[in-house]
Amino acid sequence: MGEPCRLRVRYVKDGRLAYLGHLEVMNTIMRCVRRSGLPFEVGNGFARRMRIQFSQALPVGAASVGEYYDLMLPYPIDVTQALDRLREASPAALRPNACKLLPRKVPALEAWVDVSRWDVVVQADGVDANGFSRGLDQVVEQGEIAYMRGPKLRRIPVLPSLMSCHATDVADGVALTMETRATEAGSLRPAVLVQAVLGTSPLRVCWVGQWHEQADGSRIDPMGYC
Amino acid sequence: MRFARRNCFEQIEPLLGRVEHPSRYLNHEWGAQEQQDGPFHVCLLYADVYEVGQPNLGLSILYNEVNAQEGMSCERAYLPWVDMSALMRERDIPLLSLETSSPVASFDLVGITLAHELVCTNIVETLDLAQITIRAEEREQDEPIVIAGGPSVWNCEPVAPMFDAVLLGDGEGALVEIAACVRDARAQDVPRHELLMRLSRIAGVYVPSLYEIVCDETSTRWGYAVPKPGSGAPEVVYKRCVESLARTEPVAQRIVPYMGVVQDRFALEILRGCARACRFCQAGMTYRPVRERPKDQIVEAVERGLCESGFDECSLSSLSTTDHSQCAPILRELGERLDDRGVRVSIPSQRLDSFGVDMASIVGSSRKAGLTFAPEAGTQRLRDVINKNVTDEDLDRAAQNAFACGYRRMKLYFMMGLPTEDDNDVEGISSTATHVVELGREQLGPRSKVSVSISVAVFVPKSHTPFQWAGQLPLEEVHRRQQLMLHAATNRAVRISYHDAETSQIEGVLSKMGRRGFDLVMEAWRCGCRFDAWTDQFSFERWQQAAQAVGIDLEDVACESFPLDARLPWDHTSPGVSKGYLQREWRRAMRQETTHDCTRDTCVGCGVCPTLDVGNDLAETRA
Ligand code: SF4
Repeated sequence: MGEPCRLRVRYVKDGRLAYLGHLEVMNTIMRCVRRSGLPFEVGNGFARRMRIQFSQALPVGAASVGEYYDLMLPYPIDVTQALDRLREASPAALRPNACKLLPRKVPALEAWVDVSRWDVVVQADGVDANGFSRGLDQVVEQGEIAYMRGPKLRRIPVLPSLMSCHATDVADGVALTMETRATEAGSLRPAVLVQAVLGTSPLRVCWVGQWHEQADGSRIDPMGYC
Repeated sequence: MRFARRNCFEQIEPLLGRVEHPSRYLNHEWGAQEQQDGPFHVCLLYADVYEVGQPNLGLSILYNEVNAQEGMSCERAYLPWVDMSALMRERDIPLLSLETSSPVASFDLVGITLAHELVCTNIVETLDLAQITIRAEEREQDEPIVIAGGPSVWNCEPVAPMFDAVLLGDGEGALVEIAACVRDARAQDVPRHELLMRLSRIAGVYVPSLYEIVCDETSTRWGYAVPKPGSGAPEVVYKRCVESLARTEPVAQRIVPYMGVVQDRFALEILRGCARACRFCQAGMTYRPVRERPKDQIVEAVERGLCESGFDECSLSSLSTTDHSQCAPILRELGERLDDRGVRVSIPSQRLDSFGVDMASIVGSSRKAGLTFAPEAGTQRLRDVINKNVTDEDLDRAAQNAFACGYRRMKLYFMMGLPTEDDNDVEGISSTATHVVELGREQLGPRSKVSVSISVAVFVPKSHTPFQWAGQLPLEEVHRRQQLMLHAATNRAVRISYHDAETSQIEGVLSKMGRRGFDLVMEAWRCGCRFDAWTDQFSFERWQQAAQAVGIDLEDVACESFPLDARLPWDHTSPGVSKGYLQREWRRAMRQETTHDCTRDTCVGCGVCPTLDVGNDLAETRA
């Protein structure tokens, strides 16, 4: 039958399902896996939960072109068939678009993926790309952003969390392409940055890429891991 | 005004980032019926937030039934939380359905669940947000027909003015009949009043506007309802009753929510009705007779339901799951089939005897969470009064078996203020809990970590029960007895929690009043009462303010007992249980005489079977 392994799955999160919280996405995906009828390992303990690992939490309201999870399999399976079955069992706005078998012993996704690229659209009265960039410069100069997460006050250094940010004018506001890096102090969320610059929430946020950055600065895509 | 049918999602989409739990408003769940072509449109509405309403099995059954009809579509709607409704009002967005985001006021038929008494102000809020005329009699010809149904229809008078019709009893078959009647009448352009008369001819359908309230020396101060001359409405409307549950589709829950809901698991109704005849229990009287699904149907349905939904937990639901005649073989077979898939099976609460503990052990109920039992009263005397056919020995054996099976925690449910209760019974609540702790320590050693938590509700007399004539305790007396109970509990391993007496008083008031009670409901809503079943939203002060404005003394209403021969505000809507039986049961209660369970012994003459031409339908003989 072969050795236990993991099935890495890439899926989208778009449309109105961008408003799902991370816990809601995780529960929904575990139900999709059960509906698909694929084999999976179950943990010990009373809850006997499915053994599955997810990539970092995506903020509520943010879409993504590529999210990931690793399903622990008791034995290898045919990946084309697995993808078909998962697609059939998933809502369109959370549908998988690629999967791959990996050995069991690879680093957990959540900590391993550390670089993200985002497409963000912001709208604020009288603010264009130049205005945004000037505001951003000021925030970078301040050095850190203090923000509330629920009842808690958090602080995050802007650099090195923010790797780059380009603003361009588009029809419905200002489009930002930004790259962020997970640091020991946490990850800089686009909404937190936009709030710090403009005092308003972004109109749309989409996670368009996630990688692992190696010591030499080169990047590995989660599906490219082997 | 009837709204035009159109998808308004783009109006609420910009609000999603500004409210708590946007997943309440998303729709598109797995299993939801996306295709809603109609042309006849029904909206089923639960007047609380999504996560409370979505798991409701009754609504799922009806949703599937209507959607399976040619030419009929059925959608869902829930009451938005206060943050979302405030934003919607600000922007003049009416209440929308989930599936197509159409205004609820654009539907042909709107069905609202009467889940419990405290939902009444939410129903007003729902209609107001939907921009549907609140009083049924003032609705325009083309406005939706608004009906109600569900477990709390048995004194619907305080909310009846909001409904064009109320369905009593089982909804299977009935809702489709109602929908067909409305559809045909609309096609013939029949005036609203004539349409309602047609509805009143359907078995189980009560049309409040066809009745007038008479108050005389034979009645209580709330009067009784009689058909208006010439209306042709029946003097008593009897409930609808499905003869055989086994002949209905067992898998009702097809929609898999995204957000965590209150019962986040696959639920299967394994039996309907309970004949244990606890005298305070409304469901025990109104869901008779007992109808069981056979074991093979249950096992097949659980496997199918889990496969189609992807849930990792299954609950076998009913009023008394461990009473099913095939309970043990069902649980064993499910255990064998589901064990390697990491699926848990749960049963809602345990029968208070050794068998109940055995069943909990089969499904492997969490040792950590402990077991839940409901002795309801603290002394044998009072348990005989309420006909809780449980002896001290049963309780001892259940506790001993539970400790032997490795359970260390137990939760016991009690009620305070039951008819004839005295201080001895109140202290008995604490001493029962202490006794269970001592049993555990005797068995497991004096230092063992045994704990018992007790939860004490305040008794609310409900219509169509043998205690319907009883009054509630005044608040001051409830508080005194709560203190007495606390002082009697000296063992540190016993933890006590009790229900808020004020909330129970409002429940008591709403359970007792007749149609005039609607004035209080409306006024309470105007004073800002919403989500009264949510402890953080309930405000007794607002209810008091409303009561004062309409000239009602809440305590006076709740504590009033009725003469046994009085005509009651709910006599015209019947679950089939005869008033003679209820009076007999009241007298037996006063003599501390118990009554047996008719599924284990002979018929005790409650009247349901001959009146509705049905009978207990058991899969096997009950032990
Ligand atoms: S009529 Fe008799 S058998 Fe039927 S539910 Fe009542 S007591 Fe039981």
